[in-house]
Amino acid sequence: MASEKSFIDEIKSSQEKFDNRSATQVRPITQKTVLAQEQDQRGAFRVLARKQAIERYKCSSCHSGAPVTAKKGKELTHGDINLDHGQGGQSLSCIDCHHPKERDFLEDKKGNKIDFDHSYQLCGQCHFRQKRDWIGGAHGKRVSNWAGERVVFNCASCHDPHSPRFKKRFPATYSVPLD
Amino acid sequence: MKPAKPSTNDGCPSNIMKSTSNRRSFIKSLSVAAAAGSAALATGCIPSADAAPSEEMKLRWQEFFKDNYRLMTQEEKDATIDRLERLAKIQDNLDIQMGNNPPLEKVLYGYAFNISRCEGFMECVTACVKENNLDRKTNTQYIRIFEMEPGQLDPGTGDGRYYHKVPVDNRFYMGTQCFHCENAPCTKACPTKATWKEPDGIVVVDYDWCIGCRYCQAACPYYGRRFNWGKPQIPKDEITTRQHYLGNRIRPKGKMEKCTFCIQRTRSGRLPACVEACPTGSRVFGNLLDPESEIRFVLKHKKVFRMKEELGTEPKFWYFID
Amino acid sequence: MQAVQDRNLKTFLIDAIRWNLRGGLGFQIFRIILFLFMALGIYAYSFQARYGLAVTGMNDIVSWGFYISNFTFLVGVAAAAVMLILPAYVFHDPNFHRVVIIGEGVAVGALVMCLTFIMVDLGGPLQAWHLIPVIGIFNFPSSILAWDVLVLNGYLLLNALVPAYILYSHYKGRKPDERKYRPFVFLSIFWAFSIHMVTAFLYQGLPARPFWNNPLMGPRFLASAFAAGPALIALILAVIHSVTTYKIDRSVFNKLRLIIVISAIINLIMLFSEIFKEFYFPTHHSSSAVYLFFGMDGHTSLVPWIWTSVGINLIATLVLAINPGKNNPKVLLPACFFLFVAIWMEKGIGLIVPGLIPSPLGEVVDYLPTWVELFVTLGIFALGITVVTWLIRAALIVEQNYFDEQKH
Repeated sequence: MASEKSFIDEIKSSQEKFDNRSATQVRPITQKTVLAQEQDQRGAFRVLARKQAIERYKCSSCHSGAPVTAKKGKELTHGDINLDHGQGGQSLSCIDCHHPKERDFLEDKKGNKIDFDHSYQLCGQCHFRQKRDWIGGAHGKRVSNWAGERVVFNCASCHDPHSPRFKKRFPATYSVPLD
Repeated sequence: MKPAKPSTNDGCPSNIMKSTSNRRSFIKSLSVAAAAGSAALATGCIPSADAAPSEEMKLRWQEFFKDNYRLMTQEEKDATIDRLERLAKIQDNLDIQMGNNPPLEKVLYGYAFNISRCEGFMECVTACVKENNLDRKTNTQYIRIFEMEPGQLDPGTGDGRYYHKVPVDNRFYMGTQCFHCENAPCTKACPTKATWKEPDGIVVVDYDWCIGCRYCQAACPYYGRRFNWGKPQIPKDEITTRQHYLGNRIRPKGKMEKCTFCIQRTRSGRLPACVEACPTGSRVFGNLLDPESEIRFVLKHKKVFRMKEELGTEPKFWYFID
Repeated sequence: MQAVQDRNLKTFLIDAIRWNLRGGLGFQIFRIILFLFMALGIYAYSFQARYGLAVTGMNDIVSWGFYISNFTFLVGVAAAAVMLILPAYVFHDPNFHRVVIIGEGVAVGALVMCLTFIMVDLGGPLQAWHLIPVIGIFNFPSSILAWDVLVLNGYLLLNALVPAYILYSHYKGRKPDERKYRPFVFLSIFWAFSIHMVTAFLYQGLPARPFWNNPLMGPRFLASAFAAGPALIALILAVIHSVTTYKIDRSVFNKLRLIIVISAIINLIMLFSEIFKEFYFPTHHSSSAVYLFFGMDGHTSLVPWIWTSVGINLIATLVLAINPGKNNPKVLLPACFFLFVAIWMEKGIGLIVPGLIPSPLGEVVDYLPTWVELFVTLGIFALGITVVTWLIRAALIVEQNYFDEQKH
C-alpha cells in the first residue's frame, strides 16, 4: 500500500557510492579482457576478449587476396557454419556483419569498422535494448565476481553469432516428487 | 544382573539377562534394560564396538557445549572452525577449509531473476547442489524452477517437476529459493534464535544451535527451507571443500538448512553458484546499497515484482521482464 | 500404611509406589500391557534416533505430522481440567470437589504426553538445552513456541504441585491450608485457557498458512478442548466409579454432560463458520480446505477421514444434547467416547496436515504416518495412561483413607 514504508525506500535513498576495494578477498580475473568502449553507470568496465576464442583468427591469413589451397575443402570455406540469424525469410547474410575488405574486422550498417573484441557495438545496432541492459547489468553476466572490477561476458561468449538462439535441450536435472 | 549392552548392528538393547526370581525382579530388570537402552538411544548415534578415538570424542564433546554463533567471541569462532575441520579429517578423511568471514561493510545483497530470459535449463540447480553439499540421497534442492503458462504468476499453476526438452513454446520459467526477507517470518518463529538475518542481509542458520523443531519451515511462505531428515550423503569426490560455518559445510542430521546466497563465495566478492552457472544470464546479484550496481540498475529500469508481496515479508529477490 | 505420626515425604513416595505395584490380576495385566507398549515405543524410537526423522512419513512439505497432531490435541485435553476446577472452586459444588484431583491427574498425564511428543518430534532433541535462558537463548517474546514452552511447563507445575500439597496434607491427616493454594487454583483456571490459546497461536500466527491464519483458531481450540477433555474425564470417572470403591455422584456426570454439550455445540458452530468462509467464495487461500474436504489433484486421502470425523461429531453431539434415555450411562458414555475420537481426528491430523498442504508453492502431496510414528505414538499414549494411573491411584487411596480417618 502506498502509505506503508518499505526498506526499498531506504535503499533507493542510499546514494553513497560503494567502494569496491573494500571486498578485499576478491580473486582477480585471469582471462583476457579488454576495456569496453562504452561506459556504464559506474564508469569504465572490462569485457572478456573474444579473439583468442575464435579458432581461425586472423582471418587475413587466408583472406589476403592471395590464392589458397583448400585441403579441407568444405571446412575451410566455412561450409560448416550454420547461419540462422534472423526471423524466417529475413535471415542475415555473411556480409551483413563481416567487413567485405578487411576480414579481420566487422562492419556495421553505418560503415564503421568494429573489432571482434568489441562486437557488442555491432550487435547493439539492432539489439539496442539488450545492449543498453547489458551495459547496465540487467542482461548478460559478470565474470565470477560481484565486487571488485567489473568484467562482463561479451555477446558472443553466450550467443553464437551465426545461430544465436539457445538450442532446445534437456534440463541439467529434475525435481523429485516428495511422496 | 548385567545391564544391557548396545549392539553394533541396530543399536537396540540386547542381551537382557533374566534372573531366576519372581515376577517383580523380572519387571525390574526389564525397566533397567529399557532405561539403559533409552539412555544409549538418546545419544542419537551409538559408537561402534571398537572404541572411537578419544580425540574425536573430546572434539564432539566440546562441539556439543558450544554457544550460539552470534554470541561467540572471535577466538571461539576460530576454535570451532578448527574443531570442525579436524573432525572432518578424523571421521571422513576430508581436507576442508572452513571460513567464518564476517559480513562486508555497507553491503546488503539483492537478487533479481529475469523470467523472460530463463529457459528452464536448471544449470543453477545442479551448480547449487554441488556447491552447497546438498544431500544426494533425497535430491535436496534449494532452487525450484517452475514451467509456467502465460496468464498466471502463481507457481502453484506451474509444473515444478518437468523433465523434457526446454524451452517449450508458449511457456516461461520461474525460479524460487530462499528470498532472504528483510522482515522474515522464519527468524521471528525460531524459539532458540538459531536463525537470524546477518547485517549484510543474508538469513543464516547456525546448524549446531538448531533444535530441529521445524517451526521456521512452517512459517516460510516461499518453501525456502529444507530439513535434514537423515544424515546428508554426498559422494566424497563431489564435496566442495571451501566451506563457511554458516554456509555450505556439511550439516548434521536433524537440522534446518537453506540457500545462503552462497555466503562462502559472496563474502569474498564472488557470485553465488547459481548466478555463475546460468547459461542465459537470467540471474543478477549485487549490493543493494551501491547505487551503481547491476541490481540497482534492474530495480530502477525494469518492471520488477516480488512473490507474495502482500504478506509484507519484504523479500530481497525480485523478478523482472525484459 | 504407617501410623499417622510416622508419615513423612519419604513414606509418602514409598507408599505411592507400593500402591501402584500391588493390585488385582486385572490391574497387573493392565500395567503389563502399558509397559509393553512403552517398550515397543522405545524400540521404534531407536530407529528414529539412529536414522533421523527420515523414518517417519514427514517431508519438507508436510513437515509436521502425527506427533504434532497428537500434541495439539492433548494440550486441549490438559486444559479441560479447568472444567472440573471451575464448578468445584468457583461454584462451590461439593461433589466436584471429590473429582478435582482426578481432573488434575489427567491434566498432568496429558501434559507429560505433550512434552514427550515435542521431544520425539525434534530433529535435535539433545540440543533442547539451547532453549533454557541464560545457558541457551530463549526467543521470548518473539517466538510463540517459546511462549508455549513457558505456559505448558507452568501449567504442569501448577497441576502437579497444588494437588501434591493437598494430597500430602491429607496423607498426613491434616486439612490443607486453603489460603496457601487457593490463589494458585484460580491462577490455574486462567492458565488453562492460556495454554490452549497459546498453542492455537502457534498456528494462527503464520501468514504463510492461510488454513491456520484465521482468528477463530484460538476460540475453536478452546471449544473443542472443553468438549473432548470433559468427555474423556467422564469416561475415566465412570471407570473409577465401577472398578474402585471411590464413588462418584450422578450429579457430577449430569453437569459434565451439560459442559460437554455446550462446548460441542459451540465447536460445531465454529466449524460451520470456517466452512462458510472457505467455500462460499473460494479463493486461493481455500485450497487447503478444498484438499481436506474434497481432495485435490487426485490426492484424496484425508477426505474420508474428515467426513467421518464431522459425522461422528454431529451424531455424538446430538445424542448428548437430546439425551435419549434420560442420563442413561449406556447411551451417554459411548457418545462421550465417540465425541472424543471425532475431535481427536479433526483437531489432530485434520488440522495439522491440511494446513501444510498444498505447499506454499502450490504442490500437493499425501501424508501417511509410518510404523515408527505409530508405535512411538502408542508408546507415548501408554506412558500418559501410566502416569495418569499412578497419580490417580495414589491420590484416590490417600483421599479414601483421609475420609475414613476423618470419620473416626
